[in-house]
Amino acid sequence: MAAGRLKRTINVLAVIASALLWLTALIWFAQTAQNSETLSRLQNGILLFSFIGIVILLLLIVANLTQLVRDYRNHVPGARLKARMVVLLVSLTVVPLLVVYTFSLQFINRGIDSWFSVEVEEGLETALELSRSALDVQMRENLADVRSMAQRIETGGRTNIVGELGELRRVSDAVELTIFTMGNDQILATSAESPFPAVPQFPSDELIFQLRQGGGGSYVSLEPLADGGLEIIAAANLMAGALGGEPDILLATFPVEPQLSELAGRAEASYDQYAELAFLRTPLKTSLTATLSIVLLTGLLAAVYGAFFSARRFVLPIQQLMAGTQAVARGDFDTRVPIPARDEIGFLINSFNDMTKRLATAHEEARDSQQQVESERGKLETILARLSTGVISLETDMRIRTANQAASAILGSDLEIHLGESLVNLAENQPLLSQFVSVSQSHLERGESDWREQIVLRSEVGRRVLMCACVALPGEHDEPGGYVVVFDDITALLQAQRDAAWGEVARRLAHEIKNPLTPIQLSAERLRRRYLSPPTTDSEFLDKATHTIIQQVEAMKEMVNAFSEYARTPDMELTEFNLNDVISEVAELYHHELPLALELSLETLPPVKADAGRMRQVFHNLIRNALEAMDHSDDQQLKISTRHTHDDGMGFIAIRVEDNGPGFLEEIVEEAFDPYVTSKPKGTGLGLAIVKKLVEEHDGQITARNRKQGGAVISILLPTTRKAEDKLLFSEHRRNERRERA
Amino acid sequence: MGLVFVLWQQGIHAQDEDPGSFLEQVAGSLSGGEQLSAPGFDVRSASITMESGIYYLDTWVEYRLSADAREALDAGVPLTIHLEVEFINPRWYWADENVGDIRQSYQLQYHALSERYIVLNLNSGEQNTHATLLPALNGLGRITGLPLIDPSLLNSDESYDVRVRAVLSTEDFPGPLRFLAFWRRDWSMRSDWFRWQLGD
Repeated sequence: MAAGRLKRTINVLAVIASALLWLTALIWFAQTAQNSETLSRLQNGILLFSFIGIVILLLLIVANLTQLVRDYRNHVPGARLKARMVVLLVSLTVVPLLVVYTFSLQFINRGIDSWFSVEVEEGLETALELSRSALDVQMRENLADVRSMAQRIETGGRTNIVGELGELRRVSDAVELTIFTMGNDQILATSAESPFPAVPQFPSDELIFQLRQGGGGSYVSLEPLADGGLEIIAAANLMAGALGGEPDILLATFPVEPQLSELAGRAEASYDQYAELAFLRTPLKTSLTATLSIVLLTGLLAAVYGAFFSARRFVLPIQQLMAGTQAVARGDFDTRVPIPARDEIGFLINSFNDMTKRLATAHEEARDSQQQVESERGKLETILARLSTGVISLETDMRIRTANQAASAILGSDLEIHLGESLVNLAENQPLLSQFVSVSQSHLERGESDWREQIVLRSEVGRRVLMCACVALPGEHDEPGGYVVVFDDITALLQAQRDAAWGEVARRLAHEIKNPLTPIQLSAERLRRRYLSPPTTDSEFLDKATHTIIQQVEAMKEMVNAFSEYARTPDMELTEFNLNDVISEVAELYHHELPLALELSLETLPPVKADAGRMRQVFHNLIRNALEAMDHSDDQQLKISTRHTHDDGMGFIAIRVEDNGPGFLEEIVEEAFDPYVTSKPKGTGLGLAIVKKLVEEHDGQITARNRKQGGAVISILLPTTRKAEDKLLFSEHRRNERRERA
Repeated sequence: MGLVFVLWQQGIHAQDEDPGSFLEQVAGSLSGGEQLSAPGFDVRSASITMESGIYYLDTWVEYRLSADAREALDAGVPLTIHLEVEFINPRWYWADENVGDIRQSYQLQYHALSERYIVLNLNSGEQNTHATLLPALNGLGRITGLPLIDPSLLNSDESYDVRVRAVLSTEDFPGPLRFLAFWRRDWSMRSDWFRWQLGD
């Protein structure tokens, strides 16, 4: 900021300095163009300086003009405004300048011409002529004097030439008289008025030439003196007497009367000045015109450049503002336009900068909140995905907007890859989905947007009970903007309720039945003791009857015990052991049961943490169940296999118990693990129910189905890791897809 | 002085004759001379003699004024002419060294009242007048015994060159003429350097 201000100050100072320099140069130049003797040596320098200035200005203007034309053609923003400003400013300055120039030229020419007139010239010439005439009179007199002096010397002889000269000088006006020889410029005699005479003036070549040429042998001339005065020099031939040969020269210098000299001098000076001025008329006009033209050209160019400069200065912030606006339009909110000055444009730019700053802040905030929304949405999606409740959001035309993983699992169709498609179209050939859609559609067609219903979906793999709720999403103009259908698979819940109810029933029955059994048994035994000894005729009948009572009561007791076993939930005793060992132990007990062929296929298993007694019970029950199912067959085959899978942190132990018996009845396969559901001639109907209960106590999963080649398969899946446990819990509903063996 | 010069004029003009016709005749005679050679200054000859320990210059410069210059002169504009003499120490390895620099300035002026041309030596103040231009120019051009330089100022081991030229000074013109002289080459009259080796 400080550097910018300094730069600006330096620029302003430089402009002022150069302008002053220029102005001074022009003033000097104008002075020298007139008759001033001062600065004469500087004149050419100043002229050169002006030229350099003009050339620089021209170059600058040409560069600016080229740039402007290029910008204009390329439709650079601001170029039109700049061009208009330049044209306006140039025409505003150039036209008045040219007018002033034209008139100035006329005034100068007329002014100079007005100095000269024929009258003045004639007057001056007359004055000069008059002076000459006046002087001529004296010159003639002086010439006559010299001639007479020469005659006197000639006639008087040259005996006392010096004295004679002195005498002659005294009687005449002459200040100096000298006699020269004609040929070799020797002074023969001299006489001067001055007490300290200088070396007498030698006759000029012109004088000698004229005396020699003849014409009366005399010479007179008016001589201007260095001090501005005048003197008259007159000379005459001096005959050399008897010797013949070349004559000598008598040279006399006469002063001019001071008053006449002064007046003549003034007339001469005036004439001289006028003549010089007259001669200099054209050069003066030329030089003044040239000076004026240079001044005008300089001013003109400076004005034109100034027009470019100010147009640029004026348009630059507007251009920057335009660029800034375009940048903002492109979405670049970080644009800041430099503020040129504290004027209206500066204010505008300040406002613009303020606006972009606010826009940037708003944009930042919007982005932040969008990110927040996205992350919330992501979290929600994660939650929805992990939710065991199925959630589907639909458009009003039944197109799927979103669907979570659980929804896909419950409805047995991967909805997540069909987002945006119509649920109705998707439901074709999908039995579960089509039942779900038809229920939903029937509600929506009746105009019910908020409803709640328990739906039972039937499929070849079994029954599924869904608790379904639908809510309309808020839309525009009181119309629903879509629907959210939330549904839970409550099959397992219902199953659990049923299991719990059965447990309660079993407990009560055991209690209620067990109480009277003992007195019944005791009464029957008392009857036997009392009436069988001594034997009577009815003894055989009594024996049979009481035996039956006792036997049946015993059977009932057994049954009640089994019941209470089912209802009983003792504490788990978790220990680590190998499941294969338990299976082998239990299988060992049934090895001798013929015609059973028991086959074990056991893979190496990791130790499991479980209740060993319960596990033993599980396998006892399963083997017994299979044996009972194959009761009348001669070819009894039973296969128990174990397998360990470990994938992606999920470890399972899978146990399969297969037999070649008659299998489950199709109609009871889904309730196979319910109590008292059985297709066997023997059995309490509690075996598999207990197995299921025990497996589920170990967070495991049990399923039953029929083999294609006949017989049943019961599969148990026991988790060995935490993740596997979660997985089994999550897909709890899948358990119920399997058929149950009654 | 013993100078000999040639006059083309037909006769001598007495003082009482008409000055206009006199001027016309001078102009006519000069225009006749002009046909012989173009206006310009030429150093015809120059020599240096040593007398009582001082170098003296004798030179003959031919001055042929242009019509413009003559017109200016007759209008009363004084013409200043510089006779420039330089002693040069020529150096093959560097620019020549200027050892001495003498400038003799003369002023030629027409005196309208007396109708005479005045030749004034601006250095000495000595003044001569001539009835016509040609003798005046001749008087200007014939320089004898111009004292130049004390030989003690020169190194006797070195050989020196001397050069002479005559220049019409435009700097001493009146303003407008000076301006004109800047533009028009024919106003700035000067002779070429006349150069010779000292002691030849």
